Amino acid sequence: MREEAVLFGETKSLVGILTDPPMRNGNRAKPAVILLNPGIVHRVAPGRIYVRMARALAAMGFVVLRFDFSGIGDSAVRYDNLPFDKSAVKETQDAMRFLEAARGVSRFILLGGCSGARISLQTACCDPRVVCAFLINLQMTEDVDQNSITRSAAFYYWNFALFNLKSWCKLITGKADYRNILRALGFQARTQFASGGKMSAESIQLAANLRMLAERGASVTFLYAESDPRLNDLREAVGRELKQLRALGNVRVQIIPRSDHTFSSLHDQEKLLKEICELIDAVTPATAGAPLDQRHDQLPQSVQQTLPQHGGK
Amino acid sequence: MRLAEKVVPFYFGAPDKLLFGCYHEPTLERCRKCAVVVCQPMGHEYINSHRALRQLAARLCDAGFPVLRFDYYGCGDSSGSREDGTILQWLEDISTAISEVRSRTAVVQVCLIGLRLGGTLAMNAAAERADLESMVLWDPVLSGKGYLHGLLRLQKEMLRFRPKPSTTQQPQGYLDVLGFPLSRFLRAELEKIDLLPIAGSLAKNVLVIQSDQTAGEANLKERLSQTEARLEYQRFDAPQIWRPTSDGSLLVPSQILHSIVSWTNRVHP
Repeated sequence: MREEAVLFGETKSLVGILTDPPMRNGNRAKPAVILLNPGIVHRVAPGRIYVRMARALAAMGFVVLRFDFSGIGDSAVRYDNLPFDKSAVKETQDAMRFLEAARGVSRFILLGGCSGARISLQTACCDPRVVCAFLINLQMTEDVDQNSITRSAAFYYWNFALFNLKSWCKLITGKADYRNILRALGFQARTQFASGGKMSAESIQLAANLRMLAERGASVTFLYAESDPRLNDLREAVGRELKQLRALGNVRVQIIPRSDHTFSSLHDQEKLLKEICELIDAVTPATAGAPLDQRHDQLPQSVQQTLPQHGGK
Repeated sequence: MRLAEKVVPFYFGAPDKLLFGCYHEPTLERCRKCAVVVCQPMGHEYINSHRALRQLAARLCDAGFPVLRFDYYGCGDSSGSREDGTILQWLEDISTAISEVRSRTAVVQVCLIGLRLGGTLAMNAAAERADLESMVLWDPVLSGKGYLHGLLRLQKEMLRFRPKPSTTQQPQGYLDVLGFPLSRFLRAELEKIDLLPIAGSLAKNVLVIQSDQTAGEANLKERLSQTEARLEYQRFDAPQIWRPTSDGSLLVPSQILHSIVSWTNRVHP
């Protein structure tokens, strides 16, 4: 495996790391994987998970590029006043053009967490070179002020604490944070009442996009951490449609049990990594060969022991 | 403010332990005779402060300083896995980065800027070398034990609104600190950290930036004032940018960055 620091884009100011498989030109039939910034965190991602992901996927034979959008991480700021959602899609297409020229790849898998998931989906919708998108904890609506914390708390109380004996003991013995519980439950009730069970414009658009991608033959996989409240957003947004969409065969929803939004424990990261390696292996038939668990060099744990070569001096 | 900067990402160092660096190259007519090496913190603190340190590098570069930001072995984009990092290795990495920036710029004078554990490492590296022109210690970790205690407390706090991992899910031989593995060896190395008894001359000029209420702060001030360094001490009421925020935002303390750039300007006119 070889890692190389690269500069690309219109003004050669987007910074990325290109990870090549051990046999660089071994399999051009495989799509390349592009990892998109999770929110405003730079391309290493929380827990260094993108670095591990890139190395694991390269060990499976994929060319992988992780890079920073303009104004994030090491990439320079744009001065054309393009809104983020437009510039990010444009820059993802720049990344595809760069990989086409540098590695002769013409099909792409996009993977992103949080806002990176949104950009993956938007790019997939407008660019047929994208054959597959992995959307990790896709955010349907923007949280304002303290909402994200209250939402997390409400989601935790409803989905986990309610079924936990220790949490009940705390409640009964007066050790619980009653104010926080009331605030969280009130928030949950308000948001459910406000939606009224109707589909929002964003939900209708999402369902239409998923249908369009499924018809084009592109696969979309939603990956959600079980304790991420955004999972509820997806259920509320396209829950009814999801069954039909899944039946079309190209839309999947995977839930990583007991994980949180940033996969902030080592165990969560290991589960996410394993899930992604298996899913990418399953949706890219060109890579089919021996079962994943028989290829020991492709398993996440062993990737840590694989010493990459580096370039870009 | 539009900063005219050229950023060059590259790998450097020993072929079996290559380090990722970002070199901020100033325009030729403005280039100063002192290069800056930024020593980043570790683990989640590295992730949270990356934005601020990148901004700092851009501002210093705009002022004419060649700047090298780099990732330690086993951290960020550098080679090695997260479990491979040791204090000894990271001190060696700082030396490698100093050599790299000197050979890139043909400039001899070097200023080290270190945040949190990066400050601690910078101070240790400086004491070993005794050839540094200047140094900025931004909320350095003064006591390894206190630092570890803080990390574990934060880990507990972060688990508040998420399902608790069962004991069988805990990684063998590693402590999970906000998604970064802390090996027994690194933990033992961290526990030994105590900045106060460090002997030797550090640098000709030292700036200490303090935004965190730390025990031992007065002792550090006293310790540094006993060295030959011209010492400046600045206290700020600013957020602790290395800590995770509730909404996931990454903070850039403009006042501190401005202060570091003006001090560096003054010391290296």
